[in-house]
Amino acid sequence: MARNDLQGTLDLLVLKALSQLGSMHGYGILLHIHRASDDLLRVEEGSLYPALHRIEQSGWISSEWGASENNRRAKYYRLTAAGRKELLTAEKSWEQLAKGIRAILRYA
Amino acid sequence: MAYRRRFRALFDRARLDAEIQEELQAHIEMRTADNIASGMSPEHARRDALLKFGNPVGMKEQVVAMDAALGMESFFRDVRYAFRQLRKSPGFALTAILTLALGIGGMTAVFSVVESVLLRPLPFQNAGRLVILHESILHDLHQFNVTAPDILTFQRESKAFSGVGGYIGANYVATGAGAPFEAQAERVTAFVFPVLGVSPLLGRTFTQQEDDTSAPVTVLSYALWKDRFQSDPNVLGKTIDLDKRPYTVIGVMPRNFEFPLDAGRFSGRDLWVPMSFTPVEKNRQGDDFDYGAVARLKPGVSIAQAQSDVDRIIAGIQASYPAKYRVQLHGYFRTLKDEVVHNARPLFLILLAAVGLILLIACVNLANLLLVRAATRKQEFGMRMALGAARLTMLRQLLTESLVLSTLGGFTGIAIAVGLVRAAAIYMPDSLPRLNEIAVRWPVFAIAFLLIALTGIACGMAPGLATMRTDPLDALRSGNQSSGQSRSQHSLRSGLVAAEVAMATILLVASGLLLRSFAKMLETNPGFQPQHVLTALLVLPRHDYSSQEKVADFYRQLHAQINALPGVSDMGFSTNIPIVGANSGRLITPQGYVRPAGDGWLITSNYLVEGDYFQTLHIPLIRGRYFDAGDEQSGAPLVTIISQSFADHYFRGKNPIGRHVKVGVLSSPTPWITVVGVVGDIKQAALDQPTVVQMYAPVSQGPADMGPLAAQTYVMGGAMVVVVRTVQDPKAMAAAVEKVVHRLNPLVPVTRVATMEEVVAATESSRRFNTAILTGFATIALLLSLLGIYGVMAYSVVERTREIAIRMALGSTRLAVLLKTLRYALLLTAVGMVAGVMCSLAMTRFLGGLLYGVRPLDGWSIGGATIVLLSCAVFAAWWPARRAASIDPMRALRSE
Repeated sequence: MARNDLQGTLDLLVLKALSQLGSMHGYGILLHIHRASDDLLRVEEGSLYPALHRIEQSGWISSEWGASENNRRAKYYRLTAAGRKELLTAEKSWEQLAKGIRAILRYA
Repeated sequence: MAYRRRFRALFDRARLDAEIQEELQAHIEMRTADNIASGMSPEHARRDALLKFGNPVGMKEQVVAMDAALGMESFFRDVRYAFRQLRKSPGFALTAILTLALGIGGMTAVFSVVESVLLRPLPFQNAGRLVILHESILHDLHQFNVTAPDILTFQRESKAFSGVGGYIGANYVATGAGAPFEAQAERVTAFVFPVLGVSPLLGRTFTQQEDDTSAPVTVLSYALWKDRFQSDPNVLGKTIDLDKRPYTVIGVMPRNFEFPLDAGRFSGRDLWVPMSFTPVEKNRQGDDFDYGAVARLKPGVSIAQAQSDVDRIIAGIQASYPAKYRVQLHGYFRTLKDEVVHNARPLFLILLAAVGLILLIACVNLANLLLVRAATRKQEFGMRMALGAARLTMLRQLLTESLVLSTLGGFTGIAIAVGLVRAAAIYMPDSLPRLNEIAVRWPVFAIAFLLIALTGIACGMAPGLATMRTDPLDALRSGNQSSGQSRSQHSLRSGLVAAEVAMATILLVASGLLLRSFAKMLETNPGFQPQHVLTALLVLPRHDYSSQEKVADFYRQLHAQINALPGVSDMGFSTNIPIVGANSGRLITPQGYVRPAGDGWLITSNYLVEGDYFQTLHIPLIRGRYFDAGDEQSGAPLVTIISQSFADHYFRGKNPIGRHVKVGVLSSPTPWITVVGVVGDIKQAALDQPTVVQMYAPVSQGPADMGPLAAQTYVMGGAMVVVVRTVQDPKAMAAAVEKVVHRLNPLVPVTRVATMEEVVAATESSRRFNTAILTGFATIALLLSLLGIYGVMAYSVVERTREIAIRMALGSTRLAVLLKTLRYALLLTAVGMVAGVMCSLAMTRFLGGLLYGVRPLDGWSIGGATIVLLSCAVFAAWWPARRAASIDPMRALRSE
């Protein structure tokens, strides 16, 4: 059974964003998800930061302080090896869930 | 990275907060900047950013909560909370901590002794492969050592052992290294040191050639090297005179080297010399099973293979015996470790079991205390649950609390244990092996920490789970009063107390048995009167006293001079004295005695005496006469005095006076000796040890008793114990006696000076120790279980205040309430006691070897334990019962 819930979805978005961006701060991740989804997905700051810290504690991403585009100190996140693996499983399980839901929707 | 942050977060919460603050702030700034870039006014841009962000403080908290470091922080919060709770009830905290300190401390102390003595390998190379060989003769000699020729046979023929070394104790008068002294030496074959695999600190050990040629070389012990040669690094090549023969020092052994390792007061050897068997020794076939044999198993050889190898060799040895011996020889071996700790093992295991019981009682007690506490805090828990605290959180807090208690108690206990072990090394009886190695080592600390963790979790689990089941509504509604929940808790607590009582019963019964054994030992008649007797060992240098006449002459003069001292009433000499053990076993044949079929050789212990030995020790004459001066004349008829048990056993109630006994078997070329007296039996070893039949002969006749051949080569009485009966304190005579000896010959060492009472007391010390320590454990167990009874009763009275008040309001008398409460306590005790007695019936037989004069199922001990427990239980329950009886029903009911 595919593990999936809202938290898992946010994790997947964050991991995917970081796999595409390489290294990015929270604000950048937020913007990326926003843009890449054509404004369809809007992640709240209130969910993003706790999620980032939780994911970091899980060991899927690591963080370090760096300078942002306009030279201000910001915390940058990047995927770890474990995170890359997690992303693969999360993607797979999302595909399954989506397939399942699509099937149900069509059935009607 | 994450770990570093987690750790830093632990100690630097402020810094963590600041970092998160900065991260979030950066986000707002970046959005503001983007907003401005997309054309908003700065104010508008900032407001939009803040608005989108939401409540920054709330979010910060959320983010902080995500950091796992918080898991750790909440642990520390629990610890702080636990400390606060404990500080609120210092009485409870102190009781719990002390209880656990006793349990864990006792366990740690006993375990470190066990670890040091039983578990640690001996200080030899690959010590597990070292074994000691034994021979035994069916029906006669059990667990004896081996004979001199058999050592050589084993060495030559064994296939299972890489080497076999022989050793036997020998005492020499040592001169030329400070004042003359009696050196405790060990004659060892060249194989001994290589078999043990220990290299000397300085120099080398013996070569086979030195062994074969009887070379005068010696290896010194560390202690002797230090004391007599001032740790001289150039000691090699120097000489020390042993019995006036100069021996060259070729080596010094390391400080911790000790061999042989016998349990006993005189185990430390001063030096080692080559064995160099004499021709007489080499030919003493099937006789003198006094030589130790240590062997090393070849790698890969199993015990069974080695045993069959030994069997093969023994069969060969037996085949070489003359047919007339008619004996069945057996050979076997035990590991050196087993050999050394064999006698101590049961005691240690018993101590471990006893202290384990105490730890269990301590745990039960703590669990009980925590249960009571949890019950009194039910309202608090109910309130917190109603306010949304997770059950798991509360379980965690209770566990933390009991872990804090067990850690505090445990560390106190470890400190106590370290002190106890230091004291134990000093006060433990000499009869225990490896005393000098006893210390608290890291495996013991590891075990202690494990115990702390286990105790904490086990004790916290019971109240924790009970609390988890609490229904918050019910807890709040019924306040402190009993409910269905607490009834089940109540029976759990009662069960725990009964279990405690059961365990205490076991210990009390065991200690009762030991106390009774001790009393029996003190009551035992040693067969002589030890009061007012001084003893000392004299060793005549062999060189100066080469003939029996010279020896006799020395003792005659000494006898006269000591007798002339003021305050001396009687004095005599003997090759051995009672109690110290180490008797020579002598093969004898009484005239007319028909050996029952299947019986083996007849063995008696043998004492050669001189002077008024019997009169001095007050060994009673039963028939016939004591020895007199006439027996000491040369050419006097050979006479002997036998003990009562000897007469009973071999002369079967007939008058033994005038009958004859000879040394050896019937066909031996030894003369018949006439029995002239029968004396009472004496205890040869410690009072609680069995005795062997006894036979005495005048020392001047000793060689003649052994037959014509021995009479020319033997000198007897070279080492004798002088016994002096004094009018005043015997200790005060020691200096005078020593002076007289040295006036006669300054080279004769006077050693082991002690009063006979001291000699007896020394052998009592190990039983005294066992008894004292087990009784101490039993007392602690008793106290702890009383505390348990008191606690449960006191709490149940508080809990049932309303019920009791109603009873009283309905007409129950105070006396009835008092009795009802006491009855409950007694019921609890009785249930525990019955269980405990059942267990002890099954367990006391393990005490077997420690008992003397009492059977493991001793009514007195069980009865005594029962009475002690019941009366103590009444005492412990008395105060809560009084409290119950003094409840004022009106006030109690009104306060509801």
